[in-house]
Amino acid sequence: MQRQGFSRTAVILHWLLAVSIFFLFISSWWMMALPLPSPELQFRAFPFQLHKNIGLTLVIIILMLLYVRLRHRPAPVDSQHMTGWMHWMAIAAHVAIYGLVLAVCVTGYLSSAHTRWDTVFWWSIEFPRIAAPDEEMNEFWGELHTYAAWALLGIIAVHVSGAIYHAFRSDGIVRRMLRW
Amino acid sequence: MSNQNNKTSLPHWASILGVIAIMLGVFLTAVHGNEAMKQAVVTQHMPADGVMPPADCPEEELEEEGISVAECEYLIDRVQGVALAAPDWFPNAQMTLSIIGTVLAFISIIIGGALVNYTPWASKAAVTVFSGLAAVDLLQFAAVVNTGPTLREVYLGGILLWFILHLMLVVGALAGRHTEAEA
Repeated sequence: MQRQGFSRTAVILHWLLAVSIFFLFISSWWMMALPLPSPELQFRAFPFQLHKNIGLTLVIIILMLLYVRLRHRPAPVDSQHMTGWMHWMAIAAHVAIYGLVLAVCVTGYLSSAHTRWDTVFWWSIEFPRIAAPDEEMNEFWGELHTYAAWALLGIIAVHVSGAIYHAFRSDGIVRRMLRW
Repeated sequence: MSNQNNKTSLPHWASILGVIAIMLGVFLTAVHGNEAMKQAVVTQHMPADGVMPPADCPEEELEEEGISVAECEYLIDRVQGVALAAPDWFPNAQMTLSIIGTVLAFISIIIGGALVNYTPWASKAAVTVFSGLAAVDLLQFAAVVNTGPTLREVYLGGILLWFILHLMLVVGALAGRHTEAEA
């Protein structure tokens, strides 16, 4: 018998992902307004490294979530509560969110990989250098990172609106992702 | 199917309040977490004499960041201004409240889920946690009011908005409890 909602692992990963994504957005707006780095001014060092750590961790989380979601599929939603176009829009939004989270993380890493700063995952695992510092490539991947992040924010707004819509209708759909 | 029917007959107010609490909780966890990091980073990296070195603004960095030399210099003045405007006690007070806020905001996500599923303890826990969040807002408000115009301008508007939102959540949870008691 299929579960009505998503598995507990999927629920935990989903909300961990949500908090992390919002933290990355909010902290990035703040850290980009910190003074540019110099030998005497190191305000950016910790927030940037933390940003990279969380971003790289998100790749692991989203791949785990994808695995769990595909392995443990919940029962389909009652068509009475979700019409055809809503169903397809929800699928499209989910695919876009998965794709954009991965795109934001990968472009962010590639942008960082072309700077003179090393990546030490959670201050313990040193990532091998995959490229020499290259300002043009750093800018190229950095811009893609930014555009993908804005697109992700837009699609999250659609996703959240959908969730609130179903919460107001109290049709049980939101509850599928809230089973602790 | 009968399970689904039971679920959809759960109180409407709890479903709405729960989802709003979750949305706000996710956002607020990030906001408070960032504030705690902000205080730690600025306190740790301010020069001991409080005098900032001159700005280092290489052209390629300016181009990458999309800022002018003037804005690059302003980034330093801005951090220094906020640091100078903060009394000695402020960073620690703000950091402590932000850490408490981060924990409570994260708990409010779980409480939101409990409200949507309408577990027996959900509404009581909701009143407690939302009140705790409102108390953190009030304490932050009081702390910032006792600084000066620079920090008031930076913080007060946001804190007031969060306080109003948390007050609405507390009142919503109380109203829901009373409705259930009357039913």
